[in-house]
Amino acid sequence: MLWQATANGLLLGGLYGIATIGFSMVWGVMGVINLAHTGFIMLGAYITYGLFRFAGLDPIASIPVSMIAMFALGYALQVLVLNRIIRTSLLLSLVVTFGIELVMVDAVSIAFTSDVRSVNSSYAASSIEVFGILVPVVRLIAAGFSVTLGIAFFAFLRFTRAGQMILATALDREVSSLMGINPERIYALTAGAGAALAGATGSLASMLFPVMPGMGVTFLSAVFVITVLGGIGSVEGCIVAGFIYGLVQAWAGYFLGANYQEIVGFGLFLLVLALRPQGLFGRAFFGEHA
Amino acid sequence: MSAPASPSGARRRALLFWAFFAIGTVVLALAPLALNNYWLRVLTTVFMYATVTQGLNVIVGLTGYHAFGNAVFFGFGAYASGVAMTLGAPFPVALVAAVAFSALVAGIVGWPILRLRGHYFAIATVALNLAAIQLVIQVGGVTGGAEGLPLPLSDLPPGPLYRAIYLVMLAGMVVSTLLVAFILTRPFGYALRAIRDGERAAGVMGIDTTATKVAAWAISAGITGFAGGVWAYWITFIEPASAFDPAIGVKAYMMLILGGMGTVIGPVLGAFVLEFLSTLVWGGFLQAHQIVFGVLIVVICLVAPNGMLVAGRSLIQRWRSRHGAA
Repeated sequence: MLWQATANGLLLGGLYGIATIGFSMVWGVMGVINLAHTGFIMLGAYITYGLFRFAGLDPIASIPVSMIAMFALGYALQVLVLNRIIRTSLLLSLVVTFGIELVMVDAVSIAFTSDVRSVNSSYAASSIEVFGILVPVVRLIAAGFSVTLGIAFFAFLRFTRAGQMILATALDREVSSLMGINPERIYALTAGAGAALAGATGSLASMLFPVMPGMGVTFLSAVFVITVLGGIGSVEGCIVAGFIYGLVQAWAGYFLGANYQEIVGFGLFLLVLALRPQGLFGRAFFGEHA
Repeated sequence: MSAPASPSGARRRALLFWAFFAIGTVVLALAPLALNNYWLRVLTTVFMYATVTQGLNVIVGLTGYHAFGNAVFFGFGAYASGVAMTLGAPFPVALVAAVAFSALVAGIVGWPILRLRGHYFAIATVALNLAAIQLVIQVGGVTGGAEGLPLPLSDLPPGPLYRAIYLVMLAGMVVSTLLVAFILTRPFGYALRAIRDGERAAGVMGIDTTATKVAAWAISAGITGFAGGVWAYWITFIEPASAFDPAIGVKAYMMLILGGMGTVIGPVLGAFVLEFLSTLVWGGFLQAHQIVFGVLIVVICLVAPNGMLVAGRSLIQRWRSRHGAA
């Protein structure tokens, strides 16, 4: 049973990692704590649900759709609202993104009611057995896609011009402007990419969890802890910390009971802040000076 | 606007301000004689939020530590007073318990958490808020856990009871405002603002920054816990999700921004304006009030990030310069 719990934790950990990358990047690059991030996750899940229910589209095939839709939404919100807020006070972004989250959740509640929905793909019930451990196929798919997307985003930052511009802006906003980079455009690009990853998370999460307006918020504690544990703005940190968090949660559930998972998560958070505030892979990004 | 205030002018303005404050307090204290139950409830809510916002003002406005999850002390205050009353304590004793317990929690948690800066502190308080909900559910027993906690009912009939709660909430708002005004005149108040404007420099000047910050947070928590304690008695049934609702903290945050951070009367003004606005919104858009509230948050932050007084002043100045006065 311990091995089963460990496997479950690792499989969920992949999803937690991808849920956090966008949040962590936005924080690292522009110093904004985006509380609307969990709203993007929820919207991504509803896009997958809608396409599955009304068009019969496979949940995995809808990932690109929710990524593109969330990229557009994240980009637009950054240009229309957050770039203006950043000019006055970074900490206002907490309040503003909370407001945006409220709008998203309420809009979805009105459109879809607060009923719990589910996405049942044809392979939802099947699982494979490895050394006596049952591995549900959907969880394996979700974890696999999460890690693949994480690696793809890492490669995007390292090996493309746009990615390099994002990293440069994160390291030093002033100097990157001197190099001819428009920071506000880079912020919008980062916000869009972060939202797209959240949308993909939502699509994957819709296969594992019930789809409802409040589902995004259930990721909030995990996203906080993993961001700080992995080091703000670190993609590789998010993936590794996601697995660590998944394991800790699974073991906490196994040894102490499911109710203690949140408290253990909070304890881990305080421990990291006290012992290694820069996280596992943290660097001095712009967001850290805020 | 251009004439710099001479010392006697400043004193006269302060005198005028306190005269208005005293008159306002007396009028509000007598208001229950004329108000119907609906407006009594609206005003009680306004006072409650003004008190919570004043508590937030101490740590955010004066000290510069953005305790985004400060509503956690509202919940602790509510539960402390609820548990005390369940165990048979009278209401005044329960209120003392609410203030003391909230301040104590802030004092203990503050030592590690207040070493964090900026965003780290902000999300640590949010995490604290989320963890508190789970904690109360886990503790169970005398707190009622996930099922919630019904408070013992008062012997008073509803009419006088609601008027009494109105007056207690009003007292909370007035006393917390006076407390902030008092703090601002003391060396402690100067120390807080020194920490806000440059913590390292404040340390160099000989301020024990950690102890000062913890004291400020304990005061902030005590004020917030008071509001929570009265609220619990008013509402008579509390549960973790409603007592520790993060939206309470966010609403107070909006009121603080709207009224002006670090000012004496700002939190009260912000609470009056925003609560009346959202009462209107609540009545007009039953389905979509969250959407309207969310949009309101975004608009306030875009239009008046430094408070409505500053926004209004700059609007007047722009109007004057455009229309060429003198």
